[in-house]
Amino acid sequence: MNSVLIIVDKAPYGYEDTFSGFYVAIACLNRGMASDVLLVGDGIYAAIKDQEPVGSVNYPNVGELSYLIFPEGNIFVHLESMQDRGIVEDDLVEAAQIINDKELYDIIKSKTKKTAFIRI
Amino acid sequence: MVENLQDEKKTLTIVLTEGPYRSQYVEMAHNIAESALNKGYGVNLFLYMDATHIPKKNQNPHSFPNVGERMKHLIKKGAEVRACVRCATARGHACDRESYLKGVSITSVYDIPGWVRDSDKVITLSG
Repeated sequence: MNSVLIIVDKAPYGYEDTFSGFYVAIACLNRGMASDVLLVGDGIYAAIKDQEPVGSVNYPNVGELSYLIFPEGNIFVHLESMQDRGIVEDDLVEAAQIINDKELYDIIKSKTKKTAFIRI
Repeated sequence: MVENLQDEKKTLTIVLTEGPYRSQYVEMAHNIAESALNKGYGVNLFLYMDATHIPKKNQNPHSFPNVGERMKHLIKKGAEVRACVRCATARGHACDRESYLKGVSITSVYDIPGWVRDSDKVITLSG
């Protein structure tokens, strides 16, 4: 297999999972493996800009971590999940690439047997 | 129907993020790993986040099957098991060399791309 798609559907800080998912994506990119991240459901909160976890939960800022993935890898953010939560494009980091259901389908379809889907 | 893999050995990698007993994911991972080993697959098991609790020695569950014993069995059958050092250290398992079962390596998440590259299938079990 030669690429990974990391799927994150949990909110950052409430769970370790978002940070850990980003960390896998970064590790794969650093080892020369194509790697994208898909944020769906509560996972979209990972792409909110101007996060300030320092001084409160003191977790790494996952919004900033997205720039260790982008532009080499994509940060896909699911549009319908944004709409459900009242999140608009201006709320997101610049690295975010918003995709609707049809685009999500096309992305999944374009992935071949050579892609590992890793849901964290 | 899956046939035994006589000629070309294939590899399955399982990434597990859940800890023992609270969910059935560990048991599912063990069952999948054992089936794959029985069919001639090479099996890699990467323990991430709470899954790094699984290879702890001296577990003594009263109401559930002992996941440590099951893992020992899989290692004996040839499964390669690695645990994330960041996660294991956070949970107090990495500093004491005696805390883990023999045969479990504490490595890093940077092993995942290598395992993915060498695998025919990758399965993630995550709550």
